Amino acid sequence: MIEVKNISKSFISPKKYPGLKGTIKGLFSNEKVEKVAVNDISFSIGEGEIVGYIGSNGAGKSTTIKMMTGIMVPTSGSCLVNGVDPCKKRNENAKNIGVVFGQRTQLWWDLPLSESFTILKEIYDVSDEAYEERMEFLNKVLELNEFFDKPVRTLSLGQRMRADLGAALLHNPKVLYLDEPTIGLDLVVKENIREAIKEINEKYKTTVILTTHDIGDIEELCRRIIIIDKGTKIYDGTLEHLKEIYGTKRSISVEVRQYDKVKDIAFDELLQVEKDAYETEYDGEKSVFTISFDKRKIKVPQILSILMERVDVKDVRIEETQLEEIVKQIYLEQKEQAVEELEAAANE
Amino acid sequence: MHTVKRYSRLYRVLITQFFKGIMQSKVDFLMGLLGFFLTQFLGIAFLYLVFQQIPELSGWTFKQLVFIYGFAQIPRGLDHLFTDNIWMVAWRLVVSGDFDRYMLRPMNVFFQVIAEKLQPDALGELLVGSILIVMSLRDGIMIVDGFHIAMFVISILAGAVIYTAIKLFFASIAFWVKVSGPFLSTAYELSNFAKYPTEIYAKGIRFVITWIIPFAFVAYLPAGFFLKESVSVSVIGIECILAVVFMAISYVTFYIGIGRYESAGN
Repeated sequence: MIEVKNISKSFISPKKYPGLKGTIKGLFSNEKVEKVAVNDISFSIGEGEIVGYIGSNGAGKSTTIKMMTGIMVPTSGSCLVNGVDPCKKRNENAKNIGVVFGQRTQLWWDLPLSESFTILKEIYDVSDEAYEERMEFLNKVLELNEFFDKPVRTLSLGQRMRADLGAALLHNPKVLYLDEPTIGLDLVVKENIREAIKEINEKYKTTVILTTHDIGDIEELCRRIIIIDKGTKIYDGTLEHLKEIYGTKRSISVEVRQYDKVKDIAFDELLQVEKDAYETEYDGEKSVFTISFDKRKIKVPQILSILMERVDVKDVRIEETQLEEIVKQIYLEQKEQAVEELEAAANE
Repeated sequence: MHTVKRYSRLYRVLITQFFKGIMQSKVDFLMGLLGFFLTQFLGIAFLYLVFQQIPELSGWTFKQLVFIYGFAQIPRGLDHLFTDNIWMVAWRLVVSGDFDRYMLRPMNVFFQVIAEKLQPDALGELLVGSILIVMSLRDGIMIVDGFHIAMFVISILAGAVIYTAIKLFFASIAFWVKVSGPFLSTAYELSNFAKYPTEIYAKGIRFVITWIIPFAFVAYLPAGFFLKESVSVSVIGIECILAVVFMAISYVTFYIGIGRYESAGN
């Protein structure tokens, strides 16, 4: 459905100098600064996939999306969406896609929501029958009826998001781009939006590409994720695989009565592992003892049975590594790698 | 043919929405209307005072000057009425990234820009222009026959296209510099020179407004054709050629600009 090949985008801006003197100097200098926002990214996405596209701020997520939607022309490389090059045949591509930018509405601000749908029906040449059918479905999953006659500017953020999502889907696009669709929403609304995206994907086999900072979105919606950092792709694969590689840490927190007893347990001897295979921590105020370890070396039940035998446990909590931490970890590794490379280069 | 039909239907739909939008706030709308009539009234009063001071200018009589002034208002008003949203491209849409929305819809981008708004203020220019021309007709200073009437219509349309082309060109610079409002304002201000005979200006200015930013061709030069038998119809021909050439240059520039559009970060 989507083929992205060696796509890059760099922005060229005049060089700026600090201070008032610098500003004047800048007026007369012809120096340019090139900033690479997306660097040689390739991937392909099949029909009906939901792909999470994640990265820190300024990593190049939005820039990639904007190239795929035809807003921006890539500096090099190519991109085909449903067999159409979005930059060369913008109009044709626009008929195939739906776009929701979380922070920018596509709706007619001053008019009742219903008017936006009437206009979009005309713009996308949706037939009366198709319109009826779509609206029925959209009303079911997004509950647009509640505020269909209210001016868009009076809608709450959650309502506006549902409206925007509905508007992007009216013409039954093959590909749906969602740029931070749940930003600023409360948990219940987030949940609704995610459910709606799932249903749309299931019913119409819509391909969905989603950028987000909300790990919950990813965990609930995406089987596949692509992570980019500083414009370069650093991971492309399933969520499970990512968790297997990086998410091997588990931690168990127990609320105990007597700390002394916990403190003296020699986990290393009991489990026959190295001392550095685990880490312990104690929060005296809440009397919570936490032990974290690698699940490949130590099993959760082993720890639990040791604890249960020796101390009076009031409460237990088991946690696996959050995706958020995994992503952080990958970023850190990338950074360290970059530093090492720099140092190596400096040493030569 | 299908495309023309589709776009005229879309234009109707989009402009209807625009009117529904401004009618949402009735107070705003009424205040706007009041302000508009006040502005126009003052404009006419000012004009009267100015022309009282100048009975004759560079060989043109007072009545002829009134005609030139009125004739200049009509293409200006037409362009102002239909393409006012081009100003937003120059000042805001490109730098803020709001231009994105035009790129996402399956319609011609230039069409979307102009179909977003009608500028009712322009009715003032059209009104003043029409009144002054009716006065000229009553005074009998115009040459009136079938040919001249046809040329009159063509000249007005070509003039409006020249206005649009100039606006579009300077607005397109925004794709390179983000905000091109100041350039557009400066260029547009030059059109004020075109309301009076260009002989009264220095040579440099005359050259600029005739051939570089050809506002002289939207008013003063073609106006002569309707006043003096000695003026050849070729002036209307040149006006049409300039309209086509300038519009082509501007449209191409606009499209090259779109290719460079960088949107804006969230």
